[in-house]
Amino acid sequence: MSIMEYNGGSVIAMVGKDCVAIASDLRLGNQALTVATNFEKIFPVTDRIYIGLPGLATDVTTLRERFRYRVNMYTIKESRTIEPSTFAHLVSSTLYERRFGPYFIEPIIAGLERNPATGELSPYIAGADLIGCLNFAKDFVVAGTASDKLFGVAEGLWEPGLEPEDLFETISQTLLNAVDRDAYSGWGAIVHVITKDKVISRTLKGRMD
Amino acid sequence: MASADGGAYSFSLTTFSPSGKLVQIEHALAAVSAGTTSLGIKATNGIVIATEKKSSSILIDDSMLEKVAVICPNIGIVYSGMGPDFRILVAKARKSAQAYWKIYGEYPPTLVLTQEVATLMQEATQSGGVRPYGVSLLVAGWDATRGPMLYQVDPSGSFWAWKASAIGKNMVNAKTFLEKRYNDDIGLEDAIHTALLTLKEGFEGQMTEKTIEIGVVSVPTPAEGETGKVDTATARPKPTFRKLTEEEVRDYLAL
Amino acid sequence: MPGTPSIQRPTQHQFNPYSDNGGTILAIAGADFSIIAGDTRQSEGYNIQTRYAPKVFRLTDRAVLAVNGFAADGNMFVKKVKQRLEWYRHAHAKDMPLRAIARLIQTMLYAQRFFPYYVYNILGGIEEDGSGAVYSFDPVGSYERETCRAAGAAQSLVQPFLDNQVYFKNQVPPPGRAHPTHLPLRDVLDIVIDAFTSATERHIEVGDGLEMYIVLAKGRTLQGVEAAQEISARTDGERVFVLRRDLKKD
Repeated sequence: MSIMEYNGGSVIAMVGKDCVAIASDLRLGNQALTVATNFEKIFPVTDRIYIGLPGLATDVTTLRERFRYRVNMYTIKESRTIEPSTFAHLVSSTLYERRFGPYFIEPIIAGLERNPATGELSPYIAGADLIGCLNFAKDFVVAGTASDKLFGVAEGLWEPGLEPEDLFETISQTLLNAVDRDAYSGWGAIVHVITKDKVISRTLKGRMD
Repeated sequence: MASADGGAYSFSLTTFSPSGKLVQIEHALAAVSAGTTSLGIKATNGIVIATEKKSSSILIDDSMLEKVAVICPNIGIVYSGMGPDFRILVAKARKSAQAYWKIYGEYPPTLVLTQEVATLMQEATQSGGVRPYGVSLLVAGWDATRGPMLYQVDPSGSFWAWKASAIGKNMVNAKTFLEKRYNDDIGLEDAIHTALLTLKEGFEGQMTEKTIEIGVVSVPTPAEGETGKVDTATARPKPTFRKLTEEEVRDYLAL
Repeated sequence: MPGTPSIQRPTQHQFNPYSDNGGTILAIAGADFSIIAGDTRQSEGYNIQTRYAPKVFRLTDRAVLAVNGFAADGNMFVKKVKQRLEWYRHAHAKDMPLRAIARLIQTMLYAQRFFPYYVYNILGGIEEDGSGAVYSFDPVGSYERETCRAAGAAQSLVQPFLDNQVYFKNQVPPPGRAHPTHLPLRDVLDIVIDAFTSATERHIEVGDGLEMYIVLAKGRTLQGVEAAQEISARTDGERVFVLRRDLKKD
């Protein structure tokens, strides 16, 4: 039994044109037994950063609180909101602190990064392994029990320059079809599309089995 | 009042006098006032910090002396007061900057670093068995959030942001001089010359590249900001603070 | 030591007769055609043994078999199936029908129930009624007829993509319309090529080359599918074509 598959669950993030999307399933399991079908794994960090925490459910809660604490401290100490790239490093160093007794979480970060010189917002996504090795992808990042399926479908469906509505459709189809082939993920999904003036969140029904 | 011998409240511990003063801190400020003059000027496109470097004997190899110190690629500091105390603070400030880098993957904003150093100095006024640091600092740095910033930190741990300030022996005269010379749209080159002129006011002996140290913050142009914070050739953050070489100082003195 | 009873056991040696040679295969059935495809990389662990080892084989003019798993078993299995089909031809003076080949493969696989061929089979071709068909097998002969199936190293990457693009899973048709039950040849070819380029991008055991066998029902033509090489024995019945594409070699 792998601890990464104990509770199940998957997360994916994708880059679009001036927007990013992040989505996860809603299942919480106890190995093969489904315990809850409304377990969210994606949390807002700032107005334009979200973090997805697939993996061991107890660590989802713990890490969520740790990141909330550390981001709040940053915001107060520096009187500025944290940028996605800085937050990604914060996530990385927080995880690496537990190098030899890790949190069993593979975080996914999605947000819009502000260019300090021009003020422009540009899409930013990153993934990390459970000890904080960062992966800055230009297209999409995946994690969780359905990661290999997500890779396959995303590689087939994703294309550059997707507008928010098309990006929503692409990430939703990718997630839904991937988790339908994964026994540990599924039972509906939640999708967040982050654009420069708003975040669109939608809950999806999938194959409820 | 602090009498010549320090009076009854001048033990090694920082203790309030009945009038509400911490005499040890006043002594520390006295140590600063005895130190060589340092100053900083904020310009529209950068900051200059400068100091005079005086050795007690001509036999000392003054290339060893370093009064303007680089803390991290975007921040430098200069001091007046006790050299050994400064060295400790520089080491701690550098460590703090690296610790910040290890967490966030970038160097701290000037304010955060200043706060960190100020906290260290405050702790020395309230902890047992220690004395306050005998230095005042001028911290100059650039960051994306606040741009170029110049801070002064005192032995008490208090700090302020300045457009221009001076510390050390000729502090009062230098400040008066700066008040006359300063305007809000001064450029970096003019600021460097003003800094040298101000130092010259109270300078004893010859001002040369050996007796002057200058550090400069230069604000990256929007184009430089566009290409990012990292030098692609070296994969290191592009420095926005640097010390002027002896040759550069000589050239400024010649003008 | 004298007087101490020896607790030493004899050293045991174990031979593992199986290996996994990577790669991926895939088949999709159309209304009157069938496409059976496989990459040509053969690997063992992180070593590439060859960049061209076919995994897809023409059995008859109406049947193509793709084998994936342990290459030695796969090759031997194909050899034996071909031998059985030749015997059938000698006895009956005709090619074995597709559904009969499927049942034959089940029998042959189950015969090795306790020392199985370590092979996943996908059989594609044309049924006697002229419809395109795909049969998929597990290593011990359990099988079913389907419209599409992926197997092998990148099965987990490709199958959910196929669910979406071939079965239209999780897609809602416009009101009053229904999803097509069979796709046109051109669309299926594009899906197959997309599936393999995607799998090549994200799976180290997939790549080098792609071989797509197209089996057409009697009377239908390729209809503009370029550069397919015909390999059928006769041209008046079902016909078989091969289409080759390069895949990334890294």
